[in-house]
Amino acid sequence: MKSRLIVNPNLCTGCRTCELACSFTHSVAGKPGLSRIYPLDGGFKDLFVPVVCLQCEDPACARSCLVDAITRNPETGAMELDEEKCVRCMACVSACPFGCSLFDRVNNLVVKCDLCGGDPACAHFCPTKALEYKPIVPKALKSAG
Amino acid sequence: MVNITINGKLVQAYEGEMLLTAIRRENIDIPALCHHEAVEPYGACRLCMVEITKDEWDGWKNHVTSCLYPVEEGLIVNTHTPTVMELRKTILDLFLAGSPHSTVIRKLAAEYGVTKTSYEEVPDGTDCILCGLCTRVCDKMGFSAISAINRGHGKEIAPPLNEPPPDCVGCLSCAYICPTNYIKFTDDGKTRKIWGRKFKLLHCKKTGQPTITEEFAQYLIKNRQIPEDYFKVNDLSHRMELALKMGEITQWGREE
Repeated sequence: MKSRLIVNPNLCTGCRTCELACSFTHSVAGKPGLSRIYPLDGGFKDLFVPVVCLQCEDPACARSCLVDAITRNPETGAMELDEEKCVRCMACVSACPFGCSLFDRVNNLVVKCDLCGGDPACAHFCPTKALEYKPIVPKALKSAG
Repeated sequence: MVNITINGKLVQAYEGEMLLTAIRRENIDIPALCHHEAVEPYGACRLCMVEITKDEWDGWKNHVTSCLYPVEEGLIVNTHTPTVMELRKTILDLFLAGSPHSTVIRKLAAEYGVTKTSYEEVPDGTDCILCGLCTRVCDKMGFSAISAINRGHGKEIAPPLNEPPPDCVGCLSCAYICPTNYIKFTDDGKTRKIWGRKFKLLHCKKTGQPTITEEFAQYLIKNRQIPEDYFKVNDLSHRMELALKMGEITQWGREE
């Protein structure tokens, strides 16, 4: 079974280590890139929600991309953006209903979470395990043994 | 996989891909102005010229544009031989005569030792090198708002009849892709102007930040089946909404 990036807002302290890990992992020519993950205020006391690309089944970003730069990686299941193909039309940035296609103004790049090619750095660095990268085992299967 | 030799190094390339892609994957820097991964190769600028040969060619060599030459088994490629450098130098010399004021061309030509053209400069030479990247990307995206008009010396890129193009949506892809930054546009956060046409920008309902043009959003809604609601707010507000929704769901779990 494919692994998923599992977000558990109950454990998130809003320390933003994931942002740092993401920025440095996706650095461009020595400059830190724009983070693809944001722990945002969840609207309740002491609740932070790490907002990251949900890797939708029928993603609006890929549908809106007119040059087919966003494709699914069959190994990780992540929607990956080909920077070489991207023409910066901002269609995906506006079309994503979760706002997880971002424009990096510093490096002039459109970026989105690619699950680091199957080994997400944010999950590695999360001190409270609010972010985990593991296969989801449905409850029914778990109880069956 | 296909085995080829690039500058004496044996490398593997995917079947059907062009030589330029294989060369660039090896981090060998060869110039190309008319190439972009989003569109089909075109071979307009001729700068990606390389020398190719094969063992069975008995010492015969050929010079080809690598962006248009598919990889072949046993191909021996040399990217920086004296002849290739001389070819590129001549091409840049000609470019410099046609676009004497282009900073991109001047910089590239200086790298190859050409600081002044040996030909006669075109008196009203523009920065446009007629590589066709803008028209190709416009075609690929499905708008076809601009095209090359006239022939010979009078050839230029323009919208139909030199009037504001009705099919343009103001996505600015042509301006981004232009290798010499010839395509000009203005964007003041409220309206965007390109090819002589004005576009109204959509604004986020919450933050007031500009997003894309109304025409582009309408095109995506109609042709790519994106729901209209998605364009009401910008990416930051979308993230905030998602965080609040997920926060709400998490709160249900806490109460239980």
